[in-house]
Amino acid sequence: MLWLCILLPRLAPEASAGGRPQAERAALELLALWALQWSSQVSIDPADSAGHGPALWIEIGASSRLFGGHAALRERIAADLAPLGYTHRLGTAPTPAGAALLARAGLATVATTRTQLRQQLAPLPLTLLALPDESLAALQDAGLQCIGELLALPTAAIAQRFGPGASLYLQRLCGEAREPLRMVRPPQRFASRCEFADPVTDTTALLFPLQRLLAGLQGFLRSRDRAVQRYTLCLEHHRRAATRLEIGLARPGRDAAQLLALARERLAASTLDAAVHGLAIEAHELLQPQVLQSDLFSRAAQHTEQLQQVIDRLAARLGESAVQTLRGAADHRPERAWRLSAASITAPAAAPEGAAAPVRPCWLLPEPLHIDRPQELLAGPERIESGWWDGADIARDYYLARGADGAQLWVFHDLRNGAWCVHGLWA
Amino acid sequence: MTAQLLRCAPHPGRDELRLQLERLCRSSQTDEEAGPIALPTGFAQLDAVLPGGGWPVGAITELMPDAQGIGELSLLLPALARLSSAGRCIVWIAPPCLPYPPALARHGLALEHLLLVQARDAQTRLWATEQALRCPAVGAVLAWPAALDERRIRRLQLAAEAGGSCGLLYRPPAAAQQPSPAALRLRLQALDAGLRIEIQKARGGRAHALVVHPAAAACA
Repeated sequence: MLWLCILLPRLAPEASAGGRPQAERAALELLALWALQWSSQVSIDPADSAGHGPALWIEIGASSRLFGGHAALRERIAADLAPLGYTHRLGTAPTPAGAALLARAGLATVATTRTQLRQQLAPLPLTLLALPDESLAALQDAGLQCIGELLALPTAAIAQRFGPGASLYLQRLCGEAREPLRMVRPPQRFASRCEFADPVTDTTALLFPLQRLLAGLQGFLRSRDRAVQRYTLCLEHHRRAATRLEIGLARPGRDAAQLLALARERLAASTLDAAVHGLAIEAHELLQPQVLQSDLFSRAAQHTEQLQQVIDRLAARLGESAVQTLRGAADHRPERAWRLSAASITAPAAAPEGAAAPVRPCWLLPEPLHIDRPQELLAGPERIESGWWDGADIARDYYLARGADGAQLWVFHDLRNGAWCVHGLWA
Repeated sequence: MTAQLLRCAPHPGRDELRLQLERLCRSSQTDEEAGPIALPTGFAQLDAVLPGGGWPVGAITELMPDAQGIGELSLLLPALARLSSAGRCIVWIAPPCLPYPPALARHGLALEHLLLVQARDAQTRLWATEQALRCPAVGAVLAWPAALDERRIRRLQLAAEAGGSCGLLYRPPAAAQQPSPAALRLRLQALDAGLRIEIQKARGGRAHALVVHPAAAACA
């Protein structure tokens, strides 16, 4: 388990004081949908117990392999979060409480193991602990200054002195006790809305809140592996029916940027009859996704498809045998240590050949070419005797020689008939 | 009006205009988030004198070796190894000999990402090179074109820009006398020890000459 905690201290600052908890809750739930595209384990806390504001956790350990490691995944999540414009802090640790604490501390470092977590927690001040004020005061009265000093105490002593709540929290912080988190489940259908503190009269001002809603829609669709071909944009007015704009796609898609671009076109072509107080999007028809353009998830698939198209096009014009892949083959005879096969990008990877393989020239001649005995042999010989089992056996001494034009030749002396041949070029 | 222009104008051809338009659209879209424009060659002295610090990406490089087998391929191997291990495809168009898989694998190239294309005549080689260069999944195209002129190189240059790949053209030494729109032109000469590289032209850089030592013939 590796938890990424996102602290969101100013989630809905624009909402009026009375409506703020609801606005924050709605914004956090929307972000939870967004987060589901990265992991099936997402949890939220509208106001984390230490009073540090709303928090969101994403378990990135299980899905990190899909994204090329947890560092890459973390970077990707951060890059996706940035344009949404939320004030946030990130923390990564093997426990949810640990991740939240590192986020509060504003530490950019990542703790991937419990040992690393303990090391990183040790020098931090006690005030970062998510404990009630009276517990913190008790710790300070006891003369403790940093988290490391507290963790060095025996568990029983901590429970006795500072209460079982503090003891349990510390165990969860360090991963000795499991934290019961409530996971967010993706809903059956998507509907999300936001309200504006100040009415909006300009369509371009709708794009930023719309971007946040669509990020949630994208996460929702990816987590359920679905796409939409149309969605509805509802512009809510005061005391009159909402303006409903239907946005359609040529083929099912789920890329937020694509959905936003279409909405932007649509909004630019519409005029607002009345000020907009709220914005909602609805997507009812969920479809099987097709090949998705500029979708991060399908970029590899897109490459494969593009490559296949080129191979198909080349093979269609030049003939199938003209487009080939190269393979190594396990044979000591140089002329048999390779093969060509019809190009296919689904072909299995060749057996790994590394530094242990013998040194060979980059060019191999189609046939060994008879030459006079070279004047200058620069290196060698390497004796190759092989193939007695199939009648094509060889016995040769290979050398590096210099040609008249400065070329470096791979030549051999045939031990059977005494002939000299060039077999390759050290290009 | 535009359609009429396209129909009447003999030069540049309609295809070429379309390519130029595509290129303009592309550059205005991606200017801000342009990736690295050069691929490190793996030879520090060479990177130091090349604009951008490596082989130009999304552009054409011409390599003009005096003879075959002097290290003209080893010069590219570190960069090709990096590209192929990143999963980018490397396409070889009409090489003069077999690129020997055991040697390539030993230099760290992922063989499953190499594609060998045989094409006999000049026209087909050029067409295949262009097709490969335009594919975003392709990291580099090594081509041995039979005949080239300025206009054709410009076409390939546009294709490389569209696909974001490295176009590496091997040409005879005589080609050095012709003008070329390629981003980088190198003459390669064998020395007793090492390979002499003469930078004839480097877009955004200066002419220069240096010697590198590709680890090609480390035999026995």
